[in-house]
Amino acid sequence: MSGFIRQWVNSKVIVALALVLCVATPILLSRKQEGGNVKVENADRRISIVTPHNETIRREFGEAFQQWWEEKTGEKVYVNWLTPGGTSEIRKILNGKYKAAEKVGDAGVGIDVFFGGGDYDFRQQAQAGHLAKLEIFAKRPEWFKQDVIPADFTGELYYDPEHQWVGVCLSRFGICYNVDSLKRLGLEAPNKWSDLADPKYFGHVALADPTKSGSVSRAFEMLIQEQMHDAIAKAKQKPGETKEQLDMRARSAGWDRGINLIQKIAANARYFTDSATKIPHDVAQGNAAAGMCIDFYGRTYEEMLKKEDGSSRVRWISPQGGTSMSVDPVAVLRGAPDPEIAQAFVEFLLTEKAQLLWNARPGTPVGTQYRALRRMPIRKDVYIEENMQYFADPSNPYNEVGSFVYKSELTGKGFRSIQYIIRLMCLDSHEELKDAWKKLVTAGMPARATDIFSDTTLVSYQNAMGAIRRQLNSSSKIQSANLAVRLGKYFRRNYKLAGKLAEKGEGSEK
Amino acid sequence: MNKLTAYSITAVVVFLFGVFFIYPVGMTLAVAFEGEDGGFTFDYVISVFRNPVYVEGLWNALMMGVCSTLVSLLIAFPLALASHRWIFPGKKWLSVLILAPLVLPPFVGAVGIKQILGVTGALNAWLIDMGMMHPDEPMDWLGEGRFWGVVIMNALHLYPILYMNIAATLTHLDPSMEQAAQNLGCSPLRRLRKITLPLCMPGIFAGAAIVFIWSFTELGVPLVFDYTRVASVQIYDGIKDLNSNPVPYALVGVMLIVSTVVFVSSKIMLGKSGLGSTPRPKTHDNEVKLRGVKGWVMSGVFLLVFCVACIPHLGVLFLSISGDWYGSVLPESITTAHFNEALGHPLVVPSIKNSLIYASGSTLLDIVLGTAIAWVVVRSTIRGRVILDALMMLPLAVPGLVLAFGYIAVSQKGEPLHWMLGEAGNPIFLLIAAYAVRRLPYVVRAAVAGLQQSNIALEEAARSLGATPMRVLKRVAVPLIGANLVAGSILAFSFAMLEVSDSLILAQQAEHYPITKAIYSLLSTLGNGHELASALGVWAMVFLGISIMGAFVLLGRRGGSVFRM
Repeated sequence: MSGFIRQWVNSKVIVALALVLCVATPILLSRKQEGGNVKVENADRRISIVTPHNETIRREFGEAFQQWWEEKTGEKVYVNWLTPGGTSEIRKILNGKYKAAEKVGDAGVGIDVFFGGGDYDFRQQAQAGHLAKLEIFAKRPEWFKQDVIPADFTGELYYDPEHQWVGVCLSRFGICYNVDSLKRLGLEAPNKWSDLADPKYFGHVALADPTKSGSVSRAFEMLIQEQMHDAIAKAKQKPGETKEQLDMRARSAGWDRGINLIQKIAANARYFTDSATKIPHDVAQGNAAAGMCIDFYGRTYEEMLKKEDGSSRVRWISPQGGTSMSVDPVAVLRGAPDPEIAQAFVEFLLTEKAQLLWNARPGTPVGTQYRALRRMPIRKDVYIEENMQYFADPSNPYNEVGSFVYKSELTGKGFRSIQYIIRLMCLDSHEELKDAWKKLVTAGMPARATDIFSDTTLVSYQNAMGAIRRQLNSSSKIQSANLAVRLGKYFRRNYKLAGKLAEKGEGSEK
Repeated sequence: MNKLTAYSITAVVVFLFGVFFIYPVGMTLAVAFEGEDGGFTFDYVISVFRNPVYVEGLWNALMMGVCSTLVSLLIAFPLALASHRWIFPGKKWLSVLILAPLVLPPFVGAVGIKQILGVTGALNAWLIDMGMMHPDEPMDWLGEGRFWGVVIMNALHLYPILYMNIAATLTHLDPSMEQAAQNLGCSPLRRLRKITLPLCMPGIFAGAAIVFIWSFTELGVPLVFDYTRVASVQIYDGIKDLNSNPVPYALVGVMLIVSTVVFVSSKIMLGKSGLGSTPRPKTHDNEVKLRGVKGWVMSGVFLLVFCVACIPHLGVLFLSISGDWYGSVLPESITTAHFNEALGHPLVVPSIKNSLIYASGSTLLDIVLGTAIAWVVVRSTIRGRVILDALMMLPLAVPGLVLAFGYIAVSQKGEPLHWMLGEAGNPIFLLIAAYAVRRLPYVVRAAVAGLQQSNIALEEAARSLGATPMRVLKRVAVPLIGANLVAGSILAFSFAMLEVSDSLILAQQAEHYPITKAIYSLLSTLGNGHELASALGVWAMVFLGISIMGAFVLLGRRGGSVFRM
């Protein structure tokens, strides 16, 4: 008997058994996709959707769409999600594919729908001629009224005037913070963006990267606009000054304040990231005390970490002023393999049933299958008592947002300048910026050093809207690169000098 | 070796390499050399050097590469030597366990480190519990660690590459050389410096070249430490910038050139073993049994390295079973829910199957191509074989995103490699090719090191006795370098299973996802994404661990030491 055991129980057998066990575990645990049990083989039709949306959203909407389409037509549709990563990857792939398609004379690129991301990316795709006209505007004109889907809100477009894309849910940036960390740092809970400029936050702020995402960039633009609105409202006419001069002076002053505010917040920043989940996670784990975070991530973490007494160590707030509500759109791509189903998908997303999925809790009659998505539907008319009792966040964002309205005429044309300036002033020079800030704070913000630190003459309102913008829009990339070197050197020199002066204590006399 | 054979192998390999590496990478990098008038230009490359931030980034990357390699060597060489010389308690298991860093899955590895080293991480919690740290002033290890933090993490992740290469080399070491030195009264230190180290040089060089290029271009670790002024991060940021700009691509070009120069010059300086290839030792009986305390101390050293190297693994493991883990040494509560949810996810089973197909396919390709290239590099006398050798190292230095976007570009309809995309956009061939290209350097380096040490006289004898080249290869050359090939293939397979960029970009449809992309997808799950991703990460670690163990058990005839065959 022992011979038998010795013969069969050796290391080879043990390893083989372990391997079998290891592979078998996920097979045994694997669940059938409920409702969405449509495979490539048994599908009648197929829809290819390229999206940056997370797995949770894909799963809920994929299965709900399959069900909706089957009820409507009796056909089984296979939802082919294409997820090359975030919006920057999607942009590269769509642009590359269309370029290749144009070369061989194809109309499309084998993808039906582009779903999710910021309106910036959709505007870019529309401009490049990659989007098809949506039929839903003609089919359901009653959905595009002020009390259902407004054309714009807080200054943001909610659908394309040319009808090439339409928003389906709302999102806004806010601040998530860790209650324990704030307590440790001796800070009050933040309630506006400028609170994050408090030096006590040094090294504890997590920021999203404005150079990689249109919507983050928009959030920074808002921060500047808030200061501009404020400056314009408070400006008083000087003797002999015309109205235009006054307006320009107020705009410039507000712009400078906005840029300086960003500079200080960035000096407190630990990093700039393009990963949406990194910030709420780091805040939840105390690696950052506060961060810039989209509403639904912040809310999800707040809810998830809720203790029995109802408190949570992570809180998310919508900062006072300076926040607009933007949309996550959907569009049908030009030359879609199956335009009928592509258009139907857009229609589905705007039905009341699909709209409710964005926020209704799982297990409720209108809720999701697995998890609450915690996003806000775009249709105003779904925010009624009857539906909101099932909502994970029973509040109407249309009533919540304050008086702030984004004004495109103030900074809209300088969108790329803002990204460019933030990159040079804060991201590329982050080491020097932090170092100077720390020394300034230690020295008690001596005036001369602080002035040098916050000198932004080269990136003034006029320059940003004028010379810098023109350079960025010109085709000469080498010139843009040279300008970047020049501006970068300028900021780093200022930071080093300010730090040195502060250290020497020379800055105090002025 | 027959010149004609050498040339034809070279031609085939260069052709494949050209089509699957140089062409797609060139497609992506072309923008960096295209002037505004459409002509060729070096303006962007020049502008890299005119920007102090990029110059500093390159310098930091270079320092990161050099320091990481040295620290890895400091860990790997003594371990490899000890396991070659001595027998100590638990050696069989310990020498496998210290390879643990090889199985660390991407994405969650970073999450794991943060759980341990973060402000409210386990280490700080422990220090506070022990009274060694004030609860209100916890140390920010990651925020303060920066450069040396990156170097140490790199070294702890990469030392197995050096360990395996050195261990494989040591099997070729003729004990009589060392014995002779000893008999002539040479001190142990001098013997190490004059005999052992020079004889090990091919293996050290093989491993160090990989570790250097890897850490020179490493992206994930600097990102964990939020260390951004380093070339790899600058490239990553630049490529993803909304205002697309050719300069980051020029920076990739510069990094490729730096890698090549460092590789070629150090090969000229270090790559040659002054003693030539020695006859294969006939005996292995020079292993000395360490008795008593000495033995246990040695086991302790191995265990210590294993434990330190496993910090990220532990973080991942605990996170995958934790309810909440915040400010405490161990998770506050334990649950298996994440495993149930993650492993039961519909993405998982197909992704395991896919990963196995992609990784085994690419590893097989690598073994065939790698051995052939190594043979040309070592055995032939054709001109430019050093360049061929250097060329094979380049896949390590190209950022994953660049190669991936290159593959996308060349596989579009109407482009030459469109046929590689299977029915309904199945990227299986693209992925196998991409993995194979990226992991080829491991096999080439290992095989080159092996051939340099195995005695050419044996091959010549076989040939003079009338064996065909094929037969010589099959019966003499390959068995002689078996240990090296196994080491190289284990590295190639493990890292193919854990490949990131190509997997994310090329596998776009759920049915074709490899495991890494499934981990990435789970990571984005709202709420407990990190825990779910960790759970699948733990599965991947266990699976790879068992696979490596399996390779050792199947191949190692003596006590699990695969390198002695």
